[in-house]
Amino acid sequence: MALLEAIGIGKTYPGGVVANDGVNLVIEPGEVHAVVGENGAGKSTLMKILFGIEQPNAGTLLLDGKPVKFANPREAIDAGIGMVFQHFSLVPSFSVYENVVLGSEPKAGIRLDRHKAIAEVEALSEKFRLKVDPLPPVRTLPVGQQQRVEILKALYRNARILILDEPTAVLAPQEVQELFVAIRSLVAQGKTVIFIAHKLPEVLEISDSITVMRQGKTVGQVKTREVTEKSLAAMMVGREVSLRVERKATDQSERVAAVTGLRVVNARGTEVVAGLDLNVHAGEIVGLVGVEGNGQAETLEAITGLRSIAGGDIQVAGRNVSSMSVLERRGLGLASIPEDRIAEGLATGASVAENLVATRLNDPRYVRSGLLDLKAIRANAQKLIERFSIRVGGPSSAVGTLSGGNMQKVVVARELSEQPKLLLVNQPTRGVDLGATQFIWRTITDARDAGAAVLLSSADLSELLALSDRLIVLYRGKIVAAFINQPDLSPETLGAYMLGLSTQTSEEMQVALK
Amino acid sequence: MMELFLTVFSAAFFVTVIRTTTPLLLATLGGLIADLGGALNVALEGMMLIGCLTAVIVSVYAPWYVAVLAGLGAGALLGLIMAFFAFRLKADIILVGFAINILAAGGTVFALALATGGDKGTSINLQSKAIPAVDLSFLSGIPVVGPTLSAFLSGHSVLSWLAAILVFAVWYFLYRTPWGLWLRGVGEYPAAPEAAGIPVNKIRTWSLIVSGALAGLGGAQLAMFNYVGFTRDMTAGRGFIALGAVLLGARHPVGALLAALLFGAFEALAVVMPGLFNDIPAELIRAIPFVVTIAALVLFSIRAQRALALRGVK
Repeated sequence: MALLEAIGIGKTYPGGVVANDGVNLVIEPGEVHAVVGENGAGKSTLMKILFGIEQPNAGTLLLDGKPVKFANPREAIDAGIGMVFQHFSLVPSFSVYENVVLGSEPKAGIRLDRHKAIAEVEALSEKFRLKVDPLPPVRTLPVGQQQRVEILKALYRNARILILDEPTAVLAPQEVQELFVAIRSLVAQGKTVIFIAHKLPEVLEISDSITVMRQGKTVGQVKTREVTEKSLAAMMVGREVSLRVERKATDQSERVAAVTGLRVVNARGTEVVAGLDLNVHAGEIVGLVGVEGNGQAETLEAITGLRSIAGGDIQVAGRNVSSMSVLERRGLGLASIPEDRIAEGLATGASVAENLVATRLNDPRYVRSGLLDLKAIRANAQKLIERFSIRVGGPSSAVGTLSGGNMQKVVVARELSEQPKLLLVNQPTRGVDLGATQFIWRTITDARDAGAAVLLSSADLSELLALSDRLIVLYRGKIVAAFINQPDLSPETLGAYMLGLSTQTSEEMQVALK
Repeated sequence: MMELFLTVFSAAFFVTVIRTTTPLLLATLGGLIADLGGALNVALEGMMLIGCLTAVIVSVYAPWYVAVLAGLGAGALLGLIMAFFAFRLKADIILVGFAINILAAGGTVFALALATGGDKGTSINLQSKAIPAVDLSFLSGIPVVGPTLSAFLSGHSVLSWLAAILVFAVWYFLYRTPWGLWLRGVGEYPAAPEAAGIPVNKIRTWSLIVSGALAGLGGAQLAMFNYVGFTRDMTAGRGFIALGAVLLGARHPVGALLAALLFGAFEALAVVMPGLFNDIPAELIRAIPFVVTIAALVLFSIRAQRALALRGVK
């Protein structure tokens, strides 16, 4: 008998968005069950229903064969379901044990029983091979350990079924392996794991069975050993997809950007970029590799002009730009696709047409004698919407109403509507579905083929490996390794450098640092 | 100058400091609880002011302790109203807070006029009562230290002693009980307690109720001990100073006590100084606590940033 079963689940959000439409899911006890699908396929909604955050409009949930209804997460927790969200729910200044017991504290009188709490956390971490020190505040721990704290939290509440929402998205490859060890140990001790993912190789490695979702419906449920990466991808998208990007041979002799001895100090006085030397040439994509927070974002912001530098020099197209404003740098042919499209890339309340000309308010084509030329702005928007196949009601729709992938396309369209000399890209496809990802990859590669120098940072190693000509690994604001991208370069090799476990000698690096 | 030193180190001055500190300390503890719960209570001022008037009017007809409870209850009720608008109706909490402050400034004058039959300035023609002072003069019977002890410890308001106990109680609550953990979790990162099944808005509502109750208690002390009777705008910015004291006290109850004492000391100084320096305008002296607030917050902020830099926090 299935442990947990969802039959014909339907969920329509107020506003008419159909997130789940007749979804079926059968979870057997003691298995690792992956749920895959593109963004917007309804995976998260389904999990929220299983965990009691959302209530379905239709369908039934069966737990141990008996129908159940969860009005809130508390009821799901009490029924033995635990969930680890993509964004952790940990209080940063609380210690590990405080976070684990929060909400179900062991008490002595009215007092929190600290010793008992610590002992229980230690016992759990021992039993399930989730090694973590119970005492330090969680904000001092690396992401991989924070995730363990989240899992311990669920186990402390006696979860039998553990839902992990894209757990590998934030981890370095070595940490992913450690997570998989823990998952196997959980399953070996009788727990059941539901694993939401979009990285297919990981799904194939860890899961026993897979449910594929597309556009709010379940496409099918398969045994992992019966499928391949290709057949899964086809099920997800509904057609054959290519995960490779074809690139032209380009002339890479012209140096477009030269960064020497760059130092960046953050608001609290910590050095986050520590003497970086970096060149980017026309017609190449240089990938900045690193666990988030090792200086990639700051480097890109420093070159864009969004962050003041504490030392060093930045040259773009032969000009020293260190003291130039963002607009002056853009005038030299710099374009930038920022990490957070909602906070930095777009004005979500403004229309698509307005966003598409936001960086060109000095351009006489759109602004004449201080007044906006609305006709030209609209025409420009219509042209770009078509060229970048942005799915939108029209040029005057507010950007905030678009899906993640289409918002990102608006950013990409604005930055690449004219061929840039230097393109800075940070997390171009985070939270973007497979179809849009392919399109964005293609667009960035086209810019490269046409002679742009591209500096790319991404948390997704497969994206870096798919796009880059050269890869530079940053650890604590320093370059620790550099590679020329070749088919045999593996994520594991990069991972060792990303985690600071090893460092290349300067001779080794020189090969790939031209 | 000598005169000033003699005054400052006298037992009488100490008693004055405790008197001026008590309403501030109560309001600061109230501000602290709301702030740690993530619901910044900018309405402390208005809650205190309404607490003052409620206590004064009730004390005309009822014993002093009923009046104190009424001041406390008025503050708590305002906290509940604030929570209702902020969490149920999703209004901006800062705006709700200012609405309460404005309501308090005008509403107390209106209610005062109704209660006194037309006087819009003070409650001088109301027979309001005072909170009794705790008489510990028997301590002077102790040999050697007795008289000093008696001079320092005797004559404080009942609420001053209560406030001192509350500092410890609030500390114990925040750092030793599960509910304190919940409150701090809710304030720092609400998604975490929410995922653990803790009702975030309920916790915040309670924090505002307690916050209002403490501010109302501070108001009762102000209008039934520091002064006996109500004067329009008698809180004179104490609620806002309390907000500053929360931050200055590093969002910790003991820090809140120290910060409240600092502000209380300067207020006491402003009370005694006009008698000593005739040529300094009284307005300047009355401005001292506010100048100190600004200076202290600037200094504290610089210190906090240095400390963070030293620890290498990213």
